[in-house]
Amino acid sequence: MKTITSITQDEIDLNTLLQAITDDGTGAAAIFTGMVRGITERGDPHQTTYLEYEAYQPMAEAKMRQVAQEIRARWETVQGIVIVQRIGRLYPRTPTILIACTAAHRDTGVFEAARYGIDRLKEIVPVWKKEIKPDGEEWVEGEYHPTPGE
Amino acid sequence: MSPTKILFFATLRDRAATRALEMELPPGTTIAQLKSLLIQQRPALAGLLEHCLASINHEYRFDEDPIPPAAEVAFFPPVSGG
Repeated sequence: MKTITSITQDEIDLNTLLQAITDDGTGAAAIFTGMVRGITERGDPHQTTYLEYEAYQPMAEAKMRQVAQEIRARWETVQGIVIVQRIGRLYPRTPTILIACTAAHRDTGVFEAARYGIDRLKEIVPVWKKEIKPDGEEWVEGEYHPTPGE
Repeated sequence: MSPTKILFFATLRDRAATRALEMELPPGTTIAQLKSLLIQQRPALAGLLEHCLASINHEYRFDEDPIPPAAEVAFFPPVSGG
């Protein structure tokens, strides 16, 4: 079944994407979407006016395909995979990322597969966000340093 | 000789004050050697470029890796998508 990976400026259309990774044998879809959080309470409490996302597009698309391959290598029961990252200026309550995995049944690893997808994306897919706050702006930096072969 | 295309993203782009540039590099130049050259040209990169991530032709590469002819090299901080 299909693997869909893309970087887009456009709104993420869940229904259309889900349709594309579903067939008559599909009984479960695990869907994760990340959102722009306007009010952060955990850690350093602050407000976010908007996030500005940018990508190194050709490498990001290649690494998204790699994440999908890693999912398939770990969960043979996964049927379809969607990994879509939205970029540009995104305001609170907006979905920024969609990871969806489909399978015949819910108990064969789809939840774990989608979780792996978002965690892995945040490690190796070259996308960055600048956080614009009421009193200034700063680049958000990750922590993960890939090793040879990643 | 084919020039090497060099790209910067996020904080690295701000410090470099450019998104992209091209350089003629001697054959066998490594990522570490390119970082040194860039810091000589653009001192604002010092302190950041040494520890950032690097890629050659869309694959992660490391200080000791040589840069092949006509490559696209990118420098950027640890990723923060999602």
